[in-house]
Amino acid sequence: MRQKLGFAVSIALVGCVILATRFYEVDLPVWRFFGGGQGIDPASLHVTGEFVESNLGTAREPDGSYTVRMLALQYVFVPQCVLVPSGVPVRFRVTSADNVHLLNISGTDFNVKAVPGTVSDVTTEFPKAGEFEAPCREFCGAGHFAMRAKVEVVPEDQFAGMQADQRRSCD
Amino acid sequence: MTSGNRIARVAGWAALLVGFCIPLRLSGNPPGDSGAAVRVPSDVAWTRDTIKLASSGDPFRGMLLARRCEHCHGAEGFSAEAFVPNLAGIDRLSIWKQLQDFRSGKRISAVMQPITTPLSAQDFADVSAYFSMLPTFADPQDNRSFPQAAPDPSKLRVAQKLISFGDGQRGIPPCQACHGPVGYVKGAPALTTQNARYLLTQLQRFTDGTRTNDINVAMRTIARQLTAEEQGALAEYYGAGRAQNPPRSTPGP
Repeated sequence: MRQKLGFAVSIALVGCVILATRFYEVDLPVWRFFGGGQGIDPASLHVTGEFVESNLGTAREPDGSYTVRMLALQYVFVPQCVLVPSGVPVRFRVTSADNVHLLNISGTDFNVKAVPGTVSDVTTEFPKAGEFEAPCREFCGAGHFAMRAKVEVVPEDQFAGMQADQRRSCD
Repeated sequence: MTSGNRIARVAGWAALLVGFCIPLRLSGNPPGDSGAAVRVPSDVAWTRDTIKLASSGDPFRGMLLARRCEHCHGAEGFSAEAFVPNLAGIDRLSIWKQLQDFRSGKRISAVMQPITTPLSAQDFADVSAYFSMLPTFADPQDNRSFPQAAPDPSKLRVAQKLISFGDGQRGIPPCQACHGPVGYVKGAPALTTQNARYLLTQLQRFTDGTRTNDINVAMRTIARQLTAEEQGALAEYYGAGRAQNPPRSTPGP
């Protein structure tokens, strides 16, 4: 009887954990299998969807929040120089066009894996202006060692008057 | 069965059910729909079907079709003029993609667009198959454009460094990681038997944005970082046939 109870409780716990991933926006294969997630085709990123080249870079959403869309591919990050405001939350949406890369912003705790077919969604905040190196930290092939982006943090007032359809980077 | 048992089990299944019904905020709210114009660099996407079509060409039929390429690109795939690309031994996917882009106007060329307009994707595959099978060694009887004069030693060193190591500080990956012979990326042509003038022109066009058909801004991002001297050194190095023989995506005969 105790064993059965333990079994039932563990099912409940697993269910709750999976449920929690729903709220924390973790893209589990379970969700993609049931159609809730966001599988995207890494081969046609440039043709349709969110990661077409005219949509990459820093965007200011209509509600005033900031979103950076970035692409990792063999062997560059696009945009290679990311321009973000300081002191406000910045949402990064990163995906990969070929294999797994990892964007690591040196000097911060920002670490995000770019996985083909999946969008990594991370919100972070840069307290003050400055320039950061952002190398690839997941071995991705022969050119991995030279794959590097730059993050430029500037005061938020530089984004004043930016339209919703505008995209900015410091490339 | 105790009541605690049942409650826990019901709670578990309920949690799972509710979980499936709540859509992810990410997918429920697709960001980036700002109504801005979408720029598509190339209609070619390397999906399974595209790769199958582009690599299934019949080289014999391609040989007949290639009679119309001979005048500029040479009977053996080596052109007489250094500003026209050599096609001998270039990977078939890369040739196919460029032909598609010429036809769709994604890569602008007043010469190539009228030539590619009447041809089909299958014709492109046949021609690409033929050119990819041509030998890449220079034949002095016919291959008049290649190799060209060797660059001076200081340029040689600059080019060698960029080709094999790139420049990590500026985020320039090594050329050979995508263009061979170390690594290979779909649609990236081999450069080891390419003409210097042609290479330099293309690097300059990627830099100033007059050529924009590279998928995911890869070459535009890299070319922008190179200085004019580095671009010249790279073009001369490849044009002199200094690099090694490239790999192919599909084996030749």
